[in-house]
Amino acid sequence: MNPHQSELDAPAAKPASGKVPIQFDRSWYDELQGRLDKGGPWDDWQLFQLAKQAEEASLVTSFEEMICLKHLQQVTPLPHQVDTARKVLFEMRGRAILADEVGLGKTIEAGLILKEYIVRGLVQKVLILVPASLVLQWVRELNQKFAIPAVAQKKAHSWQNPVVVASIDTAKRDPHRDILLGSEYDMVIVDEAHKLKNKKTTNYQFMLKLRKKYCLLLTATPVQNDLGELFNLITLLKPGQLGGQSDFTSNFVFEKRVPKNGEQLKEELAKIMIRNRRGDGELDFTKRHVKNIEVELSPEEMELYNGVTRFVKDQYQAAGGNLSSMLSLVTLQREVCSSRDAVFVTLVNLAKKLAPDSPLRDRIWELVALIKAIKANSKAEQAMKLIREMDDKVILFTEYRATQEYLLNYFKERNMIAVPYRGGMNRGKKDWMMDLFRGRAQVMIATEAGGEGINLQFCHQMINFDLPWNPMRVEQRIGRVHRLGQQNDVQIYNLSTKGTIEEHILRLLHEKINMFEMVIGQLDVILERFEKGSSLEKSLYKIMLESSSNDEIARKVDSLGQSLEHIRTELDEQADGPGENDGLQQLMGG
Amino acid sequence: MTMSQEQIRDYCKTYLEATACQFLEKSPYHVTVKLSPQADKELTNRPYYWGFVERMGIEPETMSFCFIFDPEKHRALEDASAAPSAGHTDPVLDRHFGAVRPLPVLGPGRIQREEITFGSPRLKQIFAAARQGGRQVYLFENPGHLQRRTLLSAAYEPWLGVQYKLEFCCDVKREELHFLGISLQNGMVDDAFANRLKGKDLIPRLPENVHITPTGLALPVARERLEKLITSRLEDADSAWADAAQERLEEELLLIDSYYRDLLQDPDEERQLAFREQYEARKAEIRWQYEPRIVVSALGSGIFHLRSSL
Repeated sequence: MNPHQSELDAPAAKPASGKVPIQFDRSWYDELQGRLDKGGPWDDWQLFQLAKQAEEASLVTSFEEMICLKHLQQVTPLPHQVDTARKVLFEMRGRAILADEVGLGKTIEAGLILKEYIVRGLVQKVLILVPASLVLQWVRELNQKFAIPAVAQKKAHSWQNPVVVASIDTAKRDPHRDILLGSEYDMVIVDEAHKLKNKKTTNYQFMLKLRKKYCLLLTATPVQNDLGELFNLITLLKPGQLGGQSDFTSNFVFEKRVPKNGEQLKEELAKIMIRNRRGDGELDFTKRHVKNIEVELSPEEMELYNGVTRFVKDQYQAAGGNLSSMLSLVTLQREVCSSRDAVFVTLVNLAKKLAPDSPLRDRIWELVALIKAIKANSKAEQAMKLIREMDDKVILFTEYRATQEYLLNYFKERNMIAVPYRGGMNRGKKDWMMDLFRGRAQVMIATEAGGEGINLQFCHQMINFDLPWNPMRVEQRIGRVHRLGQQNDVQIYNLSTKGTIEEHILRLLHEKINMFEMVIGQLDVILERFEKGSSLEKSLYKIMLESSSNDEIARKVDSLGQSLEHIRTELDEQADGPGENDGLQQLMGG
Repeated sequence: MTMSQEQIRDYCKTYLEATACQFLEKSPYHVTVKLSPQADKELTNRPYYWGFVERMGIEPETMSFCFIFDPEKHRALEDASAAPSAGHTDPVLDRHFGAVRPLPVLGPGRIQREEITFGSPRLKQIFAAARQGGRQVYLFENPGHLQRRTLLSAAYEPWLGVQYKLEFCCDVKREELHFLGISLQNGMVDDAFANRLKGKDLIPRLPENVHITPTGLALPVARERLEKLITSRLEDADSAWADAAQERLEEELLLIDSYYRDLLQDPDEERQLAFREQYEARKAEIRWQYEPRIVVSALGSGIFHLRSSL
């Protein structure tokens, strides 16, 4: 007997209260009649049986079961990802906000949900809206990990594909807008959905008009400034889940950032939003251990450093303290802490731009002479020693292409196998470099930490050969190694040159922000608040250019650190602060 | 539902045999085949090539594949046999290219390797090819060689067999398969038609010394009877799932009613119109998502001439 007949054969457990409409698709009958009239042609009996077998194997036998897991070989989802997908499918009925913290795999969760609907035959036409920079990543992940034939939108006719990934900025513009609003989508997924928080934007209006059956909104920060944002997001999915706008304000909002009736609001939110957090049960990350290594510069190197510093400061004063025209010069100051090669390239480029008779040329050549005097790179020696000692896979980050080239050469001469990795490489080359690193190379020298694609869970040692001045970039670097799936504690080595600006930067990042050991995902919140004024990077430039002595730099960096520290304690208090008004943090967490 | 590695292997082999592909190599863990033109057209997705070949009337060059069903065991097998001939790669080139070869071998001698797992696109393609190529049949039971020598010709009864798929849809979905048969001679219905066919050798040509009994039932009538049977059974069946879906639907409708109630009273006519539009659109979406319905379609059908049991 056919095992799937249970429901048909079983005696009626309960009489139908209302009749369920039945649609008969009779196209088979016309075809059969046609073939009978013409006397064939008839199909192969073996294939007929294979077709039946295929149908049995892919049959959806129960309403509530994740069948997509059997279809996935290229990805092994983590338990919290499967749980999330199941909840969205069978409790939230396919309309939800996925608000996991950064790095917990929202994309995987969305992929699972989408795959399940496709396997069940409930979804055919899909639209995925993401920031332009993530379009290709989404296409790749859906194809490779989930075998979902997604395509990136390129031309107007791309929209005809069943699964299209596009940037929302393209989608909302003519002529695309009319095409999309004229279609019906079985599923719409929006990544970085916090960009939809404002009701008045064209993005929001566009989403409101889009016709969709199931819908997922992905964001790590569902509330950035104001509870109203959350209300707006939910209205896109299920208007009324939190009542009307006025009900919501009177029931749940105490102040802009402070909810009232927290428990009740949390309960309501749980019906439409899922937020997994680090530290929830098995999502614990391994530890980070930091070691700062001071490098003593050789007298020649110190000479160059001082020379460059003088040069940069003089130019800054000559420009009347205008920071915006100084960026390439500030770069010089940073490069000099990395390698002489990096300085050299920038100096030469600078000289090319100057008029032939400019007096600056002489000063530049003076600096070049200083470069020539340098015989060894103290930092590279230190790094070499370090790598030899740990005798393990290690990723080394530098900000500069020239330093990367130099180090590749330096290591090669000393029989250390190292591979490069940089942003400009195409996909295939990047993958190849990753393979080499996983296989035979001990060291990877990377200039790019941002962007996705380098997931190095198999490596747990990293060296910051030089430090970016933007803490987010430091965090991105660490995030390549310290992520879900990392089995070991992560060792971070920071190389800093003694008696240079680098020392101060490291102190700021390490001691004040404590960023190397901090919970990931907190940094962006701190920075966002801090940078209401001007960016941290710019503040540092100013300090460096305007201070007359080392002590002054130290003092100013300290006060910068203090204001960051202040923001941090403020946030911490909000998070665990007792009291009647539960903070937003708590609402989102817990 | 799913398929085991062995089931997948047997399935693929049956398909490749049914489409007359040429087997070059076989093991329990893999097969290497040169596709037949039919299989090539169905699997390799090169309509331009086939269009060209057919228009020019030239001999087609079909592609070859190595389908691997158990990667681990296959690799072990390969390593064992490849061990003596190690060093077939150039060490200098190896160093140059690194751990992975930059380019696959191209050209007519190339054999594309593929691991076939449940859910892999290739298996899906084979499924689709089987569904496309096995929709409708016209078959006779093979009476065996004894029948040729007996005096009396055997009576054969024509049956209409339909492989029905029932889809119970709301915001989630469940499916059932039912292979129903109805005798075109007397209207008898068999709801486990697969059992009736089991063990029978079915062939596409009318065997010797056999006669077909006249049909007493026109095809449209037979179809109607089958549909009536399905309908009546569905009406008796448990509809708790549909009731639950209906309930969810009503709840959702109440929710948006509460949201739009005030907005629909907006004094500004233009805004009110916009809200009304949104409201209606949202209502339609909810119905689309939750409304319970049953879709009945046929995956395959055919006329089966079976030896009359009378």
